[in-house]
Amino acid sequence: MVSIQIRHLTKHFGSTLALDDVNLTIESGEMFFLLGPSGCGKTTLLRHIAGFSTPDQGQLLFDQRDVTRLPPHKRNTAMMFQSYALWPHLDVGQNVAFGLEERRLPRAQIETRVQESLQMVRMGHLADRKINQLSGGQQQRVALARSLAVRPDALLLDEPLSNLDAKLRLEMRSEIRRICKQFGVTAVYVTHDQKEALHLADRIAVMEQGAISQVGTPREVFRAPRTASVASFIGEANFLPGDCIAAAGPGRQATARTAHGHFTGRLTDPTWHPQPGEPVRLCLRPEALRFGESPYLPNTIRGRLVDSIYLGELAQYAVQDAAGTTFHVSELNPANPRPADASEVSLTVSPDDVMILRA
Amino acid sequence: MKRLPTYGFLLFIFLVMGCFFVYPIYHTVREAFTRPGGGFTLEYVGHIFGNPLYREGLGNALKMAAGSTLGALILALPLALLSARFTFPGKALLSALVLVPLILPPFVGTIGVKQILGQHGALNALLAPGAIAHGYPPDWLGHGRLLGVVLMNALHLYPILYLNIAASLANLDPALDEAAENLGCPPWRRFWRITLPLAMPGIFAGASLVFIWGFTELGVPLMFDFPRVTSVQIFDGIKEIGGNPLPYALVAIMLVASLLLFLLSKFLFGRSDFAGGGRASMAAQTPRLRGIQGWLATGGFAAITLLAVLPHLGVTLTSLAADWNDAALPSGFTLQHYRDALSHGLTVPSILNSLKYAGLATAIDVVLGLAIAWIVVRTRLPGRHLLDSLAMLPIAVPGLVLAFGYLAMTREGQPFDWLIGPQEDPCWIIVIAYAIRRLPYVVRSASAGLQQTSVSLEEAAQNLGCTPWRSLCRITLPLIAANLIAGALLAFSFGMLEVSDSLILAQKGEHFPITKAIYNLNGALGNGEALASALGVWAMVFLSITLLGVGLLLGKKMGALFRA
Repeated sequence: MVSIQIRHLTKHFGSTLALDDVNLTIESGEMFFLLGPSGCGKTTLLRHIAGFSTPDQGQLLFDQRDVTRLPPHKRNTAMMFQSYALWPHLDVGQNVAFGLEERRLPRAQIETRVQESLQMVRMGHLADRKINQLSGGQQQRVALARSLAVRPDALLLDEPLSNLDAKLRLEMRSEIRRICKQFGVTAVYVTHDQKEALHLADRIAVMEQGAISQVGTPREVFRAPRTASVASFIGEANFLPGDCIAAAGPGRQATARTAHGHFTGRLTDPTWHPQPGEPVRLCLRPEALRFGESPYLPNTIRGRLVDSIYLGELAQYAVQDAAGTTFHVSELNPANPRPADASEVSLTVSPDDVMILRA
Repeated sequence: MKRLPTYGFLLFIFLVMGCFFVYPIYHTVREAFTRPGGGFTLEYVGHIFGNPLYREGLGNALKMAAGSTLGALILALPLALLSARFTFPGKALLSALVLVPLILPPFVGTIGVKQILGQHGALNALLAPGAIAHGYPPDWLGHGRLLGVVLMNALHLYPILYLNIAASLANLDPALDEAAENLGCPPWRRFWRITLPLAMPGIFAGASLVFIWGFTELGVPLMFDFPRVTSVQIFDGIKEIGGNPLPYALVAIMLVASLLLFLLSKFLFGRSDFAGGGRASMAAQTPRLRGIQGWLATGGFAAITLLAVLPHLGVTLTSLAADWNDAALPSGFTLQHYRDALSHGLTVPSILNSLKYAGLATAIDVVLGLAIAWIVVRTRLPGRHLLDSLAMLPIAVPGLVLAFGYLAMTREGQPFDWLIGPQEDPCWIIVIAYAIRRLPYVVRSASAGLQQTSVSLEEAAQNLGCTPWRSLCRITLPLIAANLIAGALLAFSFGMLEVSDSLILAQKGEHFPITKAIYNLNGALGNGEALASALGVWAMVFLSITLLGVGLLLGKKMGALFRA
């Protein structure tokens, strides 16, 4: 297992900047996620770690060892490809044995390792199958077994679940985490599915336009997004513009004036110290908003209920204020969903759930 | 599609294939095993194997085939790998030039090769002027000229192999290779363990075509005066076709050997184990070779291409040479041969004939090929698999066999004598011969196009109120146009260059296609070779313009044509 350090990695493809001064440290044994919309550079970064691309600038270190110019076959990483990339001319067992043969392991040891790896992914009985006789989920397991059989220093996963159906995807999610933790392998996992990342990750790096926007545990990136784009990419967000009145005190509390009166909340970016009068943006999660009784308390939004969607485990409402801004509200386990009758409502939010960001 | 017309069409295609593919073969084979009064006999076949002359012919045919295949493979494999995996200076131009050998009939090329590599050719004049003076210049074409035949075949046929290998490499998911790299496999071992096995179906598909082609090649050994090979023995046998059953027996043996080979390659690599390679999930990144490496790649590529245009060069120089003997270059240049060739009574009609034959045959191929591909890919009609195999089989049947069959079945008193008529005009029979032999190319490219075009695209059109027929015209045809044009192009240019059907079926000067005109001119006394070369250059120019025109029409899609 290695730790991976990425320093000032920059890469151009023609005139587009694919990686923009990326800096990251991935700890040994960590399950680390690269999360972002498609085209944000997450797969490019993964391919740099594997060695399929070399950066224009910057360094890549495995355990302090510089591997920036090392060819892929000498890096001892194992990548799980989105298309699985299982070789159709070899059977399941031969696919898994391939990397071990390349490492010149004795025959007997190869056989035990192949069996071990296949059993780990519950495919032990199918070693003689041809690749095109396997279902999508089975191919996925074989690809995982092939990667893990070589005991890689780092496991690289490129959207490994995107070709599976929804149910299988949920099942394999837990499976992958179980197996990775059992091996204790350093894993870098690329996905655009925030649920997958929140579910599995030790830490997440959110990427945007080739750069890292924020790194943190699932709870940190969800509860304390530092930018509006991170907030809206992970989970849903309502935004409310305002001006800072006071920012001080323990817990980095701050107060802002908005079209709906004063709001108290917390600053999410520890490096930011807004001055009174500075414009800010409040971020309110739909599930943090609650229908309130009194319209005159602080942290309250007034508007009309214009839409109501019943989804079983929750109900989604849309509330429009006088200025025409729409706020989305989620109510968990709704017994009597409110009708969309344009009635006057007020929404309150706890100061702990108001996230104050740069405008 | 309504059911009834489709069935009608299926029946029609079976009828056409039955009359003009199965029947002529049957006719030939029957002659080989029937004694004069009727009744089965193995006497003729036995006679062939008992005669050392014929045994040697068969042995030479095998050598010719194996040598041509090996030569073509040595040329094509490195080129295909290089262009599939790397970018290097001049790549676009060079990979277009790979197709150049296809524009010259190989038997015309032999004139040029003899001029350059022959005992009194340019190479000896360059290397060993002294040896010529002593009268013992080295013979680069080898004893008995077999080496020359093999070289010529390899140079002419390697593009077919190149296209096949390049296509199978292009269809591989680059992740398959990266996965091996990622698991610790260095480049050279990766080639042996992953790339080569996965490219094997392409290599074998191309190699079996080249092998059968080489096995039955008639024009090249004929021009090299190499008579001890089966194809030439059959050709010589026609002169006495009325009574002699031995040519038929030879043809039957050739047919069986070719079919066995074809089935063997199907059996070895036709199974679908390799087909799971899947479409590429991402575009392959081809690293750019820089500096020395880049120029080495370019140089190697260019050298092979140069070698392949050697015949063209020789032919062109011969056609322009006032005198060219024992010298590196002609001693003087003249356009007289072109004037002579054009004013020769055979020339203009033969060009027009070839255009007519190849054009009509291509039109038939496009209609039949599209229909067959559509039935095979898009319908669930019973008999479609049989139709598919039947339509692909002409690839495995030597042109000589079919030509022989056509000749036999249109003789007076035979069921199809009306096709030639009392004027003995072989136009339609030649067109049919061309069309049947090239049908597989069109079927294959059309079905590749249809397979890559999702049915849901057609269904979406029909869902929006388009009739099936109109959805075929508006959606499917435009989408597979590139594939169809590619197939048609191959059919047309192979038709223009066709040798065995042309030599055998066109008996009178006024019906000669261009290849037979060249063959006849070459035999003329005096400046025959120069005249034939001049006409060959005309054919070359003409085919290049055709290919170039289609290239311009299609723009960037041209490259995709041969990857279908």
